[in-house]
Amino acid sequence: MAKHHVTATINGNGVEFLCETHQTLLEVLRDELGLTGTKEGCGTGDCGACSVTVDGRLVCSCLVLGVETEGKSIQTIEGMGVGKDLHPLQRKFLEHAALQCGICTPGILIAARSLLERNPNPTEEEVRYGLAGNLCRCTGYHKIVDAVLDAAREMRRA
Amino acid sequence: MPDTIKLEEKKLKVIGTRPVRPDGVPKVTGLARYGADYSLPGMLWGKILRSPHAHARIRSIDTSQAQALPGVKAVMTSADLPEQKFEYVGPERVAVNFWHMTRNIMAREKVLYEGHAVAAVAAISSTVADEALRLIKVDYEVLPHVIDVDEAMRPDAPLLFADMITRGVEPAPGKPSNISKRIELKIGDLEAGFAAADEIVEMDFKTAPVHQGYIEPQGCLARFDTDGQGEIWASSQGHFVVRAFTAQLLEMNIGNLLVHPAEIGGGFGGKTVIYIEPVAAVLSRKTGHPVKIVMSREDVFMATGPTSGAAMTVKIGVKKDGKIVAADGLFKFQAGAFPGSPVMNACMCSFAPYDIPNVRSVGYDVVCNRPKSAAYRAPGSPISAFAVESVIDVAAARIGMDPLQFRLKNSAKVGTPTVWGPKHAHDSYAATIQALLKHPGYTAPLGKNQGRGVASGFWFNNGGESSATAHVNEDGTVVVATGSPDIGGSRASMALMAAETLGIDYDKVRPIVADTASIGYTHVTGGSRVTFASGIAVIEACKKVIGELRARAAMTWDVDVDDVIWEEGHARPAGKNMGRFEPLSLKAIAAKKAVTGGPISASASVNAGGVAPGFASELCDVEVDPETGGVKILRFVAAQDVGRAIHPSYVEGQIQGGVAQGIGWALNEEYIYDQAGRLLNAGFLDYRIPVASDLPMIEAVLVEVPNPNHPFGVKGAGEVNIVPSMAAVANAVSHAIGRRMTELPMSPPKVLVALDSGRGD
Amino acid sequence: MAQSPARVVLTSGFSGCYTGGVKEFEIEAKTLRGVIKALDELYPGLGEHLEEETTVAIDGEIHEVGYHQPVRPGCEIFFIPKIEGG
Repeated sequence: MAKHHVTATINGNGVEFLCETHQTLLEVLRDELGLTGTKEGCGTGDCGACSVTVDGRLVCSCLVLGVETEGKSIQTIEGMGVGKDLHPLQRKFLEHAALQCGICTPGILIAARSLLERNPNPTEEEVRYGLAGNLCRCTGYHKIVDAVLDAAREMRRA
Repeated sequence: MPDTIKLEEKKLKVIGTRPVRPDGVPKVTGLARYGADYSLPGMLWGKILRSPHAHARIRSIDTSQAQALPGVKAVMTSADLPEQKFEYVGPERVAVNFWHMTRNIMAREKVLYEGHAVAAVAAISSTVADEALRLIKVDYEVLPHVIDVDEAMRPDAPLLFADMITRGVEPAPGKPSNISKRIELKIGDLEAGFAAADEIVEMDFKTAPVHQGYIEPQGCLARFDTDGQGEIWASSQGHFVVRAFTAQLLEMNIGNLLVHPAEIGGGFGGKTVIYIEPVAAVLSRKTGHPVKIVMSREDVFMATGPTSGAAMTVKIGVKKDGKIVAADGLFKFQAGAFPGSPVMNACMCSFAPYDIPNVRSVGYDVVCNRPKSAAYRAPGSPISAFAVESVIDVAAARIGMDPLQFRLKNSAKVGTPTVWGPKHAHDSYAATIQALLKHPGYTAPLGKNQGRGVASGFWFNNGGESSATAHVNEDGTVVVATGSPDIGGSRASMALMAAETLGIDYDKVRPIVADTASIGYTHVTGGSRVTFASGIAVIEACKKVIGELRARAAMTWDVDVDDVIWEEGHARPAGKNMGRFEPLSLKAIAAKKAVTGGPISASASVNAGGVAPGFASELCDVEVDPETGGVKILRFVAAQDVGRAIHPSYVEGQIQGGVAQGIGWALNEEYIYDQAGRLLNAGFLDYRIPVASDLPMIEAVLVEVPNPNHPFGVKGAGEVNIVPSMAAVANAVSHAIGRRMTELPMSPPKVLVALDSGRGD
Repeated sequence: MAQSPARVVLTSGFSGCYTGGVKEFEIEAKTLRGVIKALDELYPGLGEHLEEETTVAIDGEIHEVGYHQPVRPGCEIFFIPKIEGG
């Protein structure tokens, strides 16, 4: 079975890769491109650990096929900070101790950035519903919600 | 002797502050490497074939077609693992029987649950490996199965082991059963106690098995050389335990196996045992290639340990004045497919918060056709606490007493006897109750369909074996290595304790988790033991370094070492030399290390004792939708004695996380089986753990009653928070609907049934 | 002056298995090593079980079983099941 040749943009860089028809974007990122920051928690779109954006839209990369990303622009956690500077969400997660084990953190950061792009001034409830697709088993979400609200405040001031 | 380490009472500088954790940045940038993130050149993919049946005899396994598939490098079955001796070894509660363990890793005579591993392959790609699994032919003779604990205990139940004779019963039963063990703990005179009671409350309870639900499935990478030496990268709560178990199951010398701790994506007890490491190791040994195995979420639910489901009966007798005079608990725990539920802990912890003169706890460890249970946050204690704290709530109402005042009146204090023998040596339970009594939430008004519940819990906390090394670098920074995987911020607490001890800044300390060859034996990250026990090892190592730094300063000044003290990160002349020399900083001494004797470093290994238990009391408000039976948590306040919070944010995080898990256990989580014993909800969509929109802010109240046996007062904070949570929710729901809820989870259908029934308190 | 011995208590499980039901002992020793040695002399083999399978509570304080552990005159020592957490 011949592999597909795909050209896409990942974190602003042009990328070419070969993938099998059934390979998900998550598998391509992790196993073909070595971008292991995107995590697999379930492989069925239920936990959000593999959240990335494709052409600006938040998706579970385990539910997207690699071949579907031809010509698309993908953002992963590895592209979230700019150079040496962390994104405000990343900084606030650290300041608020919003991670314990950290396995859900990349997905939650991507989802939170996407949420704040759509709604720069969310209420606590909007943050909770906005992140309801991202499971965290360690924190009880309390400090995550605090961190997102605090980052939103800072980003609005900027 | 770790028990005698005490630093002089002085104002703490960095302990109790909230700096950014040392391992934080790689975890927010995606660069931290977890179990599944390791790869090596020439690596193969390992996959495991699992049983489709709950209970079946394996007649034969034909691997020839799989073996012949291009790209398949090896196929293994249990025949590739040596047989183990049938023997329970180690402490009773956690006795390990390698005869069982090797069969859980890969089934031999029978499969005992759906998802039980039967064979494995290593292939050049994950796709080829999947295809190979489909080509393995297993001939099963399907046997009758049993899932429920009460059914498993019946004399006519299908037997998992034809020769299992219940341990702990005298004389030994003449017939085999699924009851692996009976435990009985007792103090006082139960009959006299109940005879003296004015009111007796007796109720039955059931809880469902629930999974730890860590978001990272188990993942590992193994490589073996032809000389028999091997290396494993694994996500676990204890790489020394991975090494010990894997070496035993492969019959190899422990020294020939090196285990690297990957970052761990949650464990909660579930990663204190092993599943895939021996399989990857065997496949690597057979092929000469590195082999990576990563579990799927379905594998995790079907084949890794949940905690036990249980059936329980609890009876207490109280006097009209509110004094509890007798308590009797019967705790029947599902062990899963092999013996070893946490029922011993349940028996010990159940009535531990209370001063009751006459107590009995009886426990049964029962096998059934489910995955083997594994530890889950304060294993055993939350299950028995659900029953006991529900009965306490009913009893308080029966005699017309406030439920917190009732608990306070009966709270255990120093000198209160426990059902397992010794007297309590610490009392902080009352302080957690008082924290709730003082909380404005306790008296806030409630609306329609709303209810308030309180509950409490006890957990031992653990000490035990830990090792640490402190290396002073040439620029005055310090590396602190321990053997404790960091599961929720322990690097931060190690760095804080090292900085405090040495008198240097937090950011001058670099804490790392070292592999099994680079640090002394360290027991698992579990039992709330790391900040206590590994903390003592870190402090001891730092104190040895201070001794060395003083000696180097003494040499520099040509004075006796006894005339040099260590204060605020500096060596200072003391005694008759006081003021004679300018103090030398750690950095200055480090810079002269070569001429004063070479590198400065010290190790400490301890078997830490003097651990103090944790108590927690929790308050929960709920609103029940009378049409759907849905329960919304409106308020949750958790007051926990944490000894001293080294990094308060991560202690709060432990409490908030434990409570969230308890809420999931109370309201949603359960294993659902069909008639054939197949798990119907082996995924996060149908096994629903709490999501952000299910929960309110969880208010953590840190009650700090320092442990006098730890230099900084640490007790352990990770587990007791989950102990009261289900009972607090159940008591709240029961008050909201005016019906007593005795079965978990209190999912909407069950709440609706309760609403429709006339059954009340 | 004679030292007052420590009161040493085993669980029913342990006493059932190894001491024919005897649960309580009075033992003079300075450290836990002495206590374990004395019990092992009374019931050969018991020492190893105590070392490998129990935790000890000395006047209620819970310690890992270690030879060095000091034993004060007149104290109360319980060998209890070892606990392991999650």
